[in-house]
Amino acid sequence: MSEIAQGGGGGHGDKKVRSKKASTRVDMTPMVDLGFLLITFFILATTLSKPSSMSLAVPDKQTEKQETEPLKASKVLTLFLGKDNTVWALDRLAADDDKAKTDLKKVAYGPDLRTLIFQSQAQVDREHGKDEKGLSQFVCVIKPLNTSTYKNVVDVLDEMTVTKSKRYALVDALTTSEKELLGDKAN
Amino acid sequence: MPAIKPKRNYPMMDMTAMCDVAFLLLTFFILTAQFKAQDAATIETPSSISAIKVPDKDIMIISIGKDGKVYFGVDNQQTRLAMLENITQTEGVQFTDKQKKMFSLQANFGVPIRGLSQWLQAGIVNPDKMKEIVQPGIPTDSTAQNELAKWIYQARRANNLLRIAIKGDNVAKFPVFKDVMASLQAQNINKFNLITGTEAPPAGWSSDK
Repeated sequence: MSEIAQGGGGGHGDKKVRSKKASTRVDMTPMVDLGFLLITFFILATTLSKPSSMSLAVPDKQTEKQETEPLKASKVLTLFLGKDNTVWALDRLAADDDKAKTDLKKVAYGPDLRTLIFQSQAQVDREHGKDEKGLSQFVCVIKPLNTSTYKNVVDVLDEMTVTKSKRYALVDALTTSEKELLGDKAN
Repeated sequence: MPAIKPKRNYPMMDMTAMCDVAFLLLTFFILTAQFKAQDAATIETPSSISAIKVPDKDIMIISIGKDGKVYFGVDNQQTRLAMLENITQTEGVQFTDKQKKMFSLQANFGVPIRGLSQWLQAGIVNPDKMKEIVQPGIPTDSTAQNELAKWIYQARRANNLLRIAIKGDNVAKFPVFKDVMASLQAQNINKFNLITGTEAPPAGWSSDK
């Protein structure tokens, strides 16, 4: 690389008397070294990639019960988030339905879950059409069981964004028939 | 025979330009730097395709650790002091000025109110050992002892512009998250952010808006 400027002291074999010129060149290498060292430090100490965030709005806690129209089971996909990253899906059936026991499907996160949501969504759209506002009537009910992790919840909420399911609810209480249906899977 | 000295020709390079560039970059990085805060626990967040960035200012972060311990932190030192002042009044605990100063330097903490003074004192006596002290997490469970709700309330009293973010670990269990949500909902906070890592959306996916 570079080295200390060697001018200035020359002129040994020179017969002529010259006024000595002191070199003004300074070796910059250590300074560059220092500069890059500090840059490296600042790059590493700075938070480079800022994390993103997803907003979650939960319904207002209701002090007085409002009478709402019960949700038709044929529009609902219920997802129970269980342990070891599994989802138990109940597609367009109520938990007390006779067919529920046989229809309860075990799905893995990722493409399988996404396909299932898309299928269910398409089926609901075919059967019920759009509502008066032109929105899909498909509703997804997310029920994280106590054994599920925070990651599971975020993953499912993310699936909602991916599949553009606008109507979803995060419910943590299980009904009696659901408890019965899930049995030991809930633990 | 005289030794023939090969003439050394040192290649010279002018470092001035490089030096200029280095210091220019250095200046840039110094000015834009935002230092990583020292967190009470390492939290690995799940990732999502969400593109909303976490705001830098006026933010309250409730962290949920791997083991289900809950940590609490606000971004501004003034807010931290005001929040502690509020807690002192309502809970009847006393702190010395040094302890208050120490508290304002903590990015987040996971110590119950009763143990706070002792923890801060340990930090003053031996700042290097402070990180090694195991923090038990902020109690969130029963309504009477829900200290998280108290902190949230007092922090919002100190700065009512605070936005609320929850930062949970991948393996944190759902019931803890449920408790945190319940603490927020009890105070009519129904909208909050979940801090996640960034992930690429699936191919062909586009946001509606």
